[in-house]
Amino acid sequence: MKHGENTRNQIAKTGITRRSFAQGLAGAPFALGATAYSVSTARAQDDVRLVVLTHWATQEQREPLEAIFNEYTEANPNVEIELQTVEFAELLNRITTGQLGGDSPDIYHFYNLWLPEFVASELLSVPPEDNASDITSAYAPGTVDGASYNNQVWGYPTEVNDYQLVYNIAHLQEAGLEAPPATFTELREAAQMLTKRDGDDLTQAGFLFLASWDSGVVHPWTSLLWSNGGEYVADDYSEVLFNQQPGIEALQLETDIVNDGSAIMGIPEDADFEAGRVSMTIMANWWGALLRASDIGMENVGVAPIPHGEGGSPIALQYEWLWGVSNATEKVDAAWAFLNWLNSPRGGAETSSPMGDFLTTALNAIPGRTSDQEAHADLLGDPFVQPFVEALATARSEPIIPGAQEIKTTLQTQIESAWFGQTSPEDVLNTAAEAANRILAEQGGA
Amino acid sequence: MDVTTAAERALVGQGRVRTGPRVNRRSLAGYAFVAPSLILLMIFALGPFLFTIWVSLHEWNMLTPIGEMPSVGLANYRYLLSDDPLFRETFVNTVYYALGNVGISVVLALGVALILNGPIKLRAIWRAAFFMPYVTAPVAIAIVWRNMLDGNWGMVNGLLDRFGLPQQPFLDSLEQAMPSMIAVAIWHGAGYYMIIFLAGLQAVPYDLYEAAKLDGAGSWRLFWSITLPLLRPTLLFVIVVNTLASLQVFDLPFVLTQGGPVNETTTLVMYMYETAFSFLRMGRATSMAVMLFAVIFVITMIQLRLLREKE
Repeated sequence: MKHGENTRNQIAKTGITRRSFAQGLAGAPFALGATAYSVSTARAQDDVRLVVLTHWATQEQREPLEAIFNEYTEANPNVEIELQTVEFAELLNRITTGQLGGDSPDIYHFYNLWLPEFVASELLSVPPEDNASDITSAYAPGTVDGASYNNQVWGYPTEVNDYQLVYNIAHLQEAGLEAPPATFTELREAAQMLTKRDGDDLTQAGFLFLASWDSGVVHPWTSLLWSNGGEYVADDYSEVLFNQQPGIEALQLETDIVNDGSAIMGIPEDADFEAGRVSMTIMANWWGALLRASDIGMENVGVAPIPHGEGGSPIALQYEWLWGVSNATEKVDAAWAFLNWLNSPRGGAETSSPMGDFLTTALNAIPGRTSDQEAHADLLGDPFVQPFVEALATARSEPIIPGAQEIKTTLQTQIESAWFGQTSPEDVLNTAAEAANRILAEQGGA
Repeated sequence: MDVTTAAERALVGQGRVRTGPRVNRRSLAGYAFVAPSLILLMIFALGPFLFTIWVSLHEWNMLTPIGEMPSVGLANYRYLLSDDPLFRETFVNTVYYALGNVGISVVLALGVALILNGPIKLRAIWRAAFFMPYVTAPVAIAIVWRNMLDGNWGMVNGLLDRFGLPQQPFLDSLEQAMPSMIAVAIWHGAGYYMIIFLAGLQAVPYDLYEAAKLDGAGSWRLFWSITLPLLRPTLLFVIVVNTLASLQVFDLPFVLTQGGPVNETTTLVMYMYETAFSFLRMGRATSMAVMLFAVIFVITMIQLRLLREKE
């Protein structure tokens, strides 16, 4: 019998033909997949796997965060945590595409300005009563407001950022200014005194206005608005109020500084302040990391309260990030339990939470929880950071209203047009208010 | 002349090729070969296009399921055309940018190509030098030029100052921001079109120039009567492609100016992006996309008709 004949006989005995072998080969991946699925399904019934999404994407941020997550999983062996990170510019895209594709994380870390849209779309799970009580009692009022919408707290605040007047100490000393400006009038005068020219060439500008960036334009102006006794929006979100007299005066101050020739417009990437080309600006605490990395020398950087209008008092705008739980997750209890651990003091009321440790040491940020601020008073006592922390006591949250981002962008454009002298402060604010009220009405603000 | 068709006719005339079923089989084979690409095109181009039109008739923030989008009919289009001044402004900005970029870069690229097609020294180096900006990433170019065009401390103002010329605000000026951006775009893209024109020029038969010169034709007559007509297909390609790219520009203004100052350099695609991904108004953004498509389609058809070679 020839070899081939023997083989054919063996195949005939076993009933395996070429066709059936090919069919079996094609079906093998499906069988393997089904087996794997059944195994993973069986494992899922016993363990919990939480997917956490943040914008803390650099290696320096991921590593300490993963170490904290590992600390939790070691104490809770049935919990596995997967950290997903994207750059801030892609975060909202990731959230929306995940929602559309049915691949949403269990826990989001998101910018509080997105709350109205997230709540309207039922993206977020309502915190259990214990978590909500903890949040309202353990954070400053402005911080709680920043995590709330429609009278409901939606998550644990994490890093808090607020705005202050940042100035070049050496410039002020050279100009003979004993203290940074405290009022609108003093701010304008100081900007004039600090501006230097070599003939027609500007060599040093008294003030830097951040342009072409909605937060850079609107946040400082809103701080000035509040510090002048003004309001941004009505309590019931039915209309904006920033076009009233206090807002007009705040914008008039800015246009006066521009028209005096005491200001330049730029973006943080231009590094004009770091290079010593400008003397003052209104900026947020997170800017400190860039200043520390520059050649300006932190001993030369001063921080002061927002200048106030007559009869007003310094009020800084603050914004924040918060942890929230997806409304689509089946692991709601596990997610809130993890967030409770993450944001609670480790070992007693005067200790820091894991989140507080991460924010202060890895990010040089200000933690939102009051006990974390106290526990890290040494780090937060830094001469640059401390004024920002102190300002939180009276700071107000960036208005969390429907269409907030669109309103902010519209306001930015109008404010810039006033800087460039296209129209008067009153006209631009009225134009912005008209657009903002329409947006509020469309988005169900009233 | 279609060579294949002529050859076929010759062979048919000689009785060496049969018509009828064999020609149909060739057609079927052709369809079969293009079918995979056609199917991919339907799925990944036509499908999303139709979906875009569908979404433009709804309100959608991308957080709610697609099946729950409320229908608004043509409300998005009505809003953009009558109640949105920023849409009109960005449309005008986009047309301004396209006219400036296409108009100047085509003429410049053709002029440089004519020069570099001639017997000049170091021709290869000159060609490489003109082409090099094109191979640089637009984002990198925008970052560098932003610093160079700084209104107070940029390198360009430094040069102007050295020659005793007045400093210019460039990107910080409402009037100069767009022309400055157009200049950067021309600097970046002209080299690419120059290469295309060079290829077209080198396809022009030299004996036509010789014959014309024998008849006494000067440089201008040579260019107008020989070069330009024979360069028509290349010119058509360059203008159409440049127009398409200019009307959809995003990366350059996004990095160079962020659309400022005061939206003077905000293009329609930038506004569309912001409306979709910052404001979460996908219905309105897709309406802009549909209208931009319609405009580009009409402009392209007009260009093709005007520049198409007469047969």
